[in-house]
This record gives sequence, structure tokens and C-alpha cells, in this order.
Amino acid sequence: MSVVNLRGVTKRYRDTLAVDDVSFDLHENRIHGLLGRNGAGKSTVMRMLTGQEIPTSGQVRVFGENPYENAAVLPRVCFIKESQRYPDIFLARHALEAAAMVFPNWDQDFADRLVEEFRLPVKRRVRKLSRGQLSSVGVIIGLAARAPVTLFDEPYLGLDAVARQAFYDHLIADYGRYPRTIVLSTHLIDEVADIIEDVTVIDRGRIVMDDSSENLRSQAVTVSGPTNAVEQFADGHDVLHREDLGGFTRVVVSGIPADRDTASLQVEPVSLQQLVVRTTQFHDAALAGAGNGKGDRS
Amino acid sequence: MTQLVKVARIQLVNARMVLGMPLLVLVCVLAANIAIFVAIGTASPPEGATVTGALVSIYIVTLVTHVQTMTQMFPFALGLSVTRREFVAAAGLVVFGQALLYGVIIWLMSLLERATGGWGLGFAMFDLPFLEGSNVVTRILVYAGPFLLLSFAGLWTGIVYQRWGQPGVWALVLAFGALVVGLMALIGWQGWWQQVFDFFAETPALLLFAVYPALIGVVLAAFTYLTSRRAVP
Repeated sequence: MSVVNLRGVTKRYRDTLAVDDVSFDLHENRIHGLLGRNGAGKSTVMRMLTGQEIPTSGQVRVFGENPYENAAVLPRVCFIKESQRYPDIFLARHALEAAAMVFPNWDQDFADRLVEEFRLPVKRRVRKLSRGQLSSVGVIIGLAARAPVTLFDEPYLGLDAVARQAFYDHLIADYGRYPRTIVLSTHLIDEVADIIEDVTVIDRGRIVMDDSSENLRSQAVTVSGPTNAVEQFADGHDVLHREDLGGFTRVVVSGIPADRDTASLQVEPVSLQQLVVRTTQFHDAALAGAGNGKGDRS
Repeated sequence: MTQLVKVARIQLVNARMVLGMPLLVLVCVLAANIAIFVAIGTASPPEGATVTGALVSIYIVTLVTHVQTMTQMFPFALGLSVTRREFVAAAGLVVFGQALLYGVIIWLMSLLERATGGWGLGFAMFDLPFLEGSNVVTRILVYAGPFLLLSFAGLWTGIVYQRWGQPGVWALVLAFGALVVGLMALIGWQGWWQQVFDFFAETPALLLFAVYPALIGVVLAAFTYLTSRRAVP
């Protein structure tokens, strides 16, 4: 069952098209990765999902309703963003206390444990927190709120590797006990590759991939070997990426060609990060080609 | 209703700063006034108390804190999935409570002022002469009224900034300036100055300082809500 639906959603700011005719669903109690480059439109999509931005056109539905100014829907949604600002007069604990008041499923014990673990100085002014500590305020709120739809937008800027791992561990453990719909938006695709079950990739405001990570992983392979054999193997399929070295070629192919001779070839699975990066590049190049009106790449 | 109270509590989660800061400024201004009057050192003040306008300080500080309610608290609260409608309503609740609280505190200060003979120096900062003969309720409402006006003016200015940024605030200030200048020109042209002075002299304090400011405050509250509809955190 899907808890979030976007249909033909477009967001235009004066002369930029931030989100261009986007449609996708978020399924209940799954962990979704919303991936894409900087400025691809990820944050704008999430701001529209949480009623903070109003789409120029199209339809956004959360639990079947329009989230904008919807007091029945919004308390079931928690949106943690890297760019969240806190009032200057706040101590770190004030941010947590405020969150405790508005999220119905808030777990104070869990929040306290997370404060310990992330070593958050709760009595310090928010303004005096380091970038990493500020991120942990958001992460703690996002986890302890236990909102049925929880969105993390680049939640861990400035967090060290240990703290990031702690975040992933808690996320998975708590998700196991209290299943909910989670969206992770991040650049660190490799780090979240094992966590996310569904992947949506957005580029230049458009969806370029939207599938379960399992399906995606089985859709592309890296093939290397003698150029001739590789070209034969890849014939008729999208070559997302190609590297040549002497008579030796390595390609990332989307769609696995069946019944082809792989005797002289080495076939490896593609990592999610590889797949996302190569697919994005492939689309960019295609768009650039279309933009030139020539269809060829120079 | 409970949600409204919750959101109001978010705005007051650091109540010491939100409610205490204007009072602290008030106390400092009072101390400064006492120091000035001691420095001037008039042994026996002239007939009646010298009235200072220092009370204005707490009203100005309250306006500024409510600009920040919108520029800082609003984006935070929306980040916690609070709706704009809830936030503005809760801000209104806070403003009313705060105005009443400050009204009572200023009234208490005026009692203290009278009891100490103008802080021993014969000046009046709280016990204003035009309130001579008014009852307690009138006094408290007269002190509270301008808080409503200025707090909602602060909230509206803050949300204008939030929605349209610096240019929006400039436009607001310029429009307000043009309105004042235009009114003055109109009054001068029509020769209405005498009537205007009479209006201020003859209108009862309760109307002038409580009812009219509260009415304007309500209008500004409506503007605040309408402006917030499409404001983005």
C-alpha cells in the first residue's frame, strides 16, 4: 500500500523549473532512498510532501489527503532537513522538548539514549553547536518522533563516520520494532545501499529511476573483456558507461542480455552508487544531445 | 484546542527568554532613569512628578521579539509539522496572554512607584498622569492595549520578511511612511489639526489605549494569517 502519491507534480520558481512533472509513490513501511545530485529537486519534492511548499501544478497526497495546512496529516509526518534553522534563543534541549510536544508517538527514553550516544550537549545554545552536533539534533528528533512517515534530507552533514553508523544502526533497529515509511535523501549512496529497499532517482527535476533496489541491481551489470566480445554482448542495450584501454573494454550495461556468450568476459554486479551515477550521467548526456538538436555527442 | 496550546508552548519553551527579556530591559531602563535623576540631583522636584517616556521601551522590545517569533520560531515550528494556521493562532494566544501579564506587572510597578514617591526621586515612569482616577481594570487594560497593537505589528512585519524578504519589509515600511505622510498632508490641507488634537485629548484613555489598539491589532493579526498562507519556512 502506498502512503504517499505524487502525480504530475511540477514546481516552478520564477525562471527555474525545480521539479518537472514528477510522479511516484512511497510504499508503507519501506525504506526509500531519494537520490540525485545537488539541485536535482530532492528537497523541493520533500518540502511539497510536507506541505511546506505548494506545487505549481500536479497532485500531492499523503495518507490520501493534500498535506498543505492539513492538521490531520502533518503530525504523522516528520521532516528532518539539513537546512533546518533553530531559534537563536534555544538551547539544544528546547528543540527536543518542542518536538516531544508535537509528535504523538514521541519516545522520550529513546531520545534520552540517543542524546547520550551522540554526545549532544543539551544545555548548550543551538547557535554554539558544531555542524555535526546540529545534525544530531535533527537525527534524534527524526528517530524519536517515530512518525509514520519520516523524511531525512541529508541529515548527517558534519557527522563523523561513527555517528553516521550509529544513526544507520538505530534507524534499522527501530524500524524493525516500529515499522514506518522512511525516506533517506543523501549523496552517500554506498553507505545507505544496504538499507534502502526502494530507490527513486531524480535528476534535473525529473525521475530517472524508480524501483526496488533488488530489481535495479539485477538490471545492470559491469562487463569487461576484449572490446569485440564486450560490444557483441552489449549490442542492443543501453550502455550507461564505457571505458576503453587498449583492446580491452569495460561497460556498464542496463538490462542484462540473456543467452549471450560470456566465455571471454568478466561479468560483475553493479553497485547501487555506480548504477545511480552512471544512469544520471547517461540521462544528462542524452538531454544535452537532445538540447543540441543534433543527437550526437562531441 | 489542545494542539493550539501545544504550539503556544513551543513558542514559550524558552519562556525565560521570550517573556523575561522585555521585563529585563524594562528594569534596566528603570535603573538608568533612577541613575539619571540621581545625577541631575534636584533636591525638591517642581510641582507634580516629572513624567518620563521610558515605559515605551518595553513596547518596542516586545515588537522586536515578535518579529523574531516569525523569522525564527515560525520556520522551526513548520519544520516540526505545525501548520501555519495553528502557528499564527498560537502566536495570537501568546500575544494576548503576554499583554495581560505585562499589563498587570506595569500596574504593580505603578503602585510601587506611587508608594515610593516616584522611586524617592519624584519621577513617574509607570503611574501616568492621564490615568488619574481610573479603576484597576482600566489601568491594566490601558497598559495592555498597546502591547496587542505592537506585537501584531511585529508578527506581521516578521511574516512579511519571511515571505518576501528584505524588499518586502522595505515596501511595508515605505507604505506605512507614505500613509502617515499622506494622512498628515490631508489633515493639514483640510485644516483638521484642531479636531485631531481634540480627539486625542477627549477620547477616554480606555478607548484610546485599549479598545482602538486592540481593534487595529486584530486587523494586523488577520493580515499576518493571510500573509503566512504562502510563506515558506
